[in-house]
Amino acid sequence: MIEENVLHVEDLTRRFGTVIANDNVSLKVRPGEVVGLLGHNGAGKTTLISQVVGLLRPDSGTIRVDGVDAVRHPAAARRHAALQPQGQAPIDGLTPRAAIEIACRIRGLTRRRSRAAAEELAAELDITQWLDQRALPQGGGLSGGIRRLTAFAMAVAAPTPLLVLDEPTNDVDASRRRRLWAAVRHRADEGAGVLLVTHNVAEAERIVDELVVLDRGRVVAAGSPARLRGTHDSALRLELQLPPEGGNPASDEHELPVTTVRRVLAGRRVLLTVPAGEAASAVAWATTLRDEDRIDGYSLTPVTLEDAYLSLTSIETDDLSEPAPSRKVSAHA
Amino acid sequence: MPESALQSAPGMVSARPDSIARLAPVQVSAWSTYRTLLRWQVAQIGGLLPFVVVVQALLAGGIIIGFGFLIPDIDSATARFLSTGAPTVLLLTIGLVLVPQGVARARTDGTFDYMRSLPLARPLLLAADVTVWLMVAVPSVAVGVVVARLRYDLTFAIDWPLLVTATLLVTIMATAVGYAIAVSMPPMLAQLVTQVLVFFVLLFSPITFPASQLPAWFLSVHDLLPVRAGADLLRAGLASDTFTASGRDLLVLALWCLLGLATSLRALVRRQ
Repeated sequence: MIEENVLHVEDLTRRFGTVIANDNVSLKVRPGEVVGLLGHNGAGKTTLISQVVGLLRPDSGTIRVDGVDAVRHPAAARRHAALQPQGQAPIDGLTPRAAIEIACRIRGLTRRRSRAAAEELAAELDITQWLDQRALPQGGGLSGGIRRLTAFAMAVAAPTPLLVLDEPTNDVDASRRRRLWAAVRHRADEGAGVLLVTHNVAEAERIVDELVVLDRGRVVAAGSPARLRGTHDSALRLELQLPPEGGNPASDEHELPVTTVRRVLAGRRVLLTVPAGEAASAVAWATTLRDEDRIDGYSLTPVTLEDAYLSLTSIETDDLSEPAPSRKVSAHA
Repeated sequence: MPESALQSAPGMVSARPDSIARLAPVQVSAWSTYRTLLRWQVAQIGGLLPFVVVVQALLAGGIIIGFGFLIPDIDSATARFLSTGAPTVLLLTIGLVLVPQGVARARTDGTFDYMRSLPLARPLLLAADVTVWLMVAVPSVAVGVVVARLRYDLTFAIDWPLLVTATLLVTIMATAVGYAIAVSMPPMLAQLVTQVLVFFVLLFSPITFPASQLPAWFLSVHDLLPVRAGADLLRAGLASDTFTASGRDLLVLALWCLLGLATSLRALVRRQ
């Protein structure tokens, strides 16, 4: 049977001493698909991708990369996968042009094709003006952002069935971040499967097909962004900014004058998801709270994926920790 | 459940495998990969090369000229002994100090794992590394000879095939052992071990003094270690009219080479 997934992870478990870094993780990436892997620091994202490219050995579970058993045959699996790690790529002493050409040559492109690829990628990511500037040791010569874009270009230089990108937008400026997202999407549209690790939930939302949320080593949610947002775009987010001291006015669900689909306490912010129809009463209530100095301020905005993500992974949830909707919103379905 | 939830959302661009060209990896020849890797490694170390050569020259000068100060009225036989030992000290120092430092840095800054995540045969990675260190180390033999000529007006009866073989084997052995230490131990411990080894090479190995000055039991220890064997081979290559080496030396050195390379390779392949 031909494996249709470029990445198929099943029941993957990996421990470091007593810490379970990956706990029974399962996920799939199909060709043409961008799968976002979200999670806090220490959620087990890097451990997971280190096993995919054969730097770490799983304690149990299976990994298939483009049909190849990556646990048994890591060297064979690596030929089907390209990784942009979270750290910088070792390009000191090289120009971005030379670095990209080297990455192409290692993956078997001809000299002529490699030269063309470097030019094309530089244009795609808007780094042409740095193409011949040498990276020097201790971060000299090229800025962190240009180095990361070069590392990204090195990872995508040759067409590879599986692309694994670990925080590709770190240090990259806003306009080039947009180009980078477009480049990721483009690689998927050309047939690659992309596993994208990122903290940048808001930006990634626009290009991912699927999301997998890891929390303390476990998959706590998976599905399309719309499914994870879970509100059919009909809900609003009421954010209350709490004063440094003082209680949380939303701690008791039954005392709230509005229906809440989801409640999250994140630091000094309370994020409440409320149905759009109750916008007026939400604003009235928040204004009263502000007038009474029980909150510093508030805002009412459309619900984002970030809200859903925070509610799934929130450590600081107090008595608000209810990942499931607290009341049905069937009226908006 | 992640499995059941992993379905494309309605209205999303369809990404069915049958409508998309399956990408396939390409086989790359070992020689082409080796050359590419070499280009990469040389570029990384490029800025450091002149510095390394200067340090080598200083070290060579230190050993050949400095030891001369220790021995007043040095005769030409002693000078010849010192000068023909100096290249071995240089090669071993590079292998046991610079190589572990380089590897430790690569492990901390992520280079080591980056390279290991690429579709590269591990022996090629090691071969490219060893080649670069050969480029760095080999000039030290020439530096030693030049300094000796200038200081003591010595002439050398060079046995080229032996000299080339000995230089390659000593460098590869030192590099491989240094590499093996750096990849098998935590960085701090590796640093300590290599410092002790350098101390051992400089003061307790019959490179800059005749083996006859060591107690018999210590000499038999050196019969199993690669240090005296390497020094004797290099010496015989540089001054073939004065010194000789045995086939046993060659064998001991070759075995240490293999041990170092095998240990390094194992560390490159191993998944934690």
